[in-house]
Amino acid sequence: MKKITDERLVLQNLKNIRIAYIIQTIGILGILGYDLVTKGLDGMRENPLWFVFMITTVISAYLSMNISADQESNKTNPQKSLTISLVVLILISTVVGFFVSITDGFTIVNGGIFGGILFICGLIPIIYIYNLRIKRQDENIEE
Amino acid sequence: MENKVKIARTQVNLTQQQLADKVGVTRQTISLIEKGKYNPTLKLCLDICYAVNKTLDEVFWLERENDDK
Repeated sequence: MKKITDERLVLQNLKNIRIAYIIQTIGILGILGYDLVTKGLDGMRENPLWFVFMITTVISAYLSMNISADQESNKTNPQKSLTISLVVLILISTVVGFFVSITDGFTIVNGGIFGGILFICGLIPIIYIYNLRIKRQDENIEE
Repeated sequence: MENKVKIARTQVNLTQQQLADKVGVTRQTISLIEKGKYNPTLKLCLDICYAVNKTLDEVFWLERENDDK
């Protein structure tokens, strides 16, 4: 097969892939929905398709940050948003960690681990979007 | 989008296929551009202009429509 060089066909190809992706997603959701009804939530989570679905959702969320960082208004300072996000994240993970540690059957170590996991999971997207904003700011200055 | 690709192409005695080969696209794409049904990228516009020895102005320039929208 020859490599497609025609820009119109490359574009058309991307559109076709998008349609296939939409159908695939509908199919995955249909199968997971069927599992949810017949086997319940835990049964659905055992299906490897659940993992595939979650990975795709996370990836598409990260990619759409690229777009939202370009679209948002320029007024907010990236450092300021980073600080606010970090404070909120620390607050949430501390509160969750605290409540986990006082729950029966969980120790303080469990609470620390829960809070720590929550903190790290929240930290990655915050740092990512911070870097995107900084990069975009640099691009604006160069103009 | 209207353009003068067809006129420019016939002036240098090229068929759609020959022009397509020169700029590295398929004949169908040239046909759609001539009919105004495909909006080519600036890069492809430039390639077409080089192939027919004309400037972008001569091939693709359109006067702004005066109807108030």
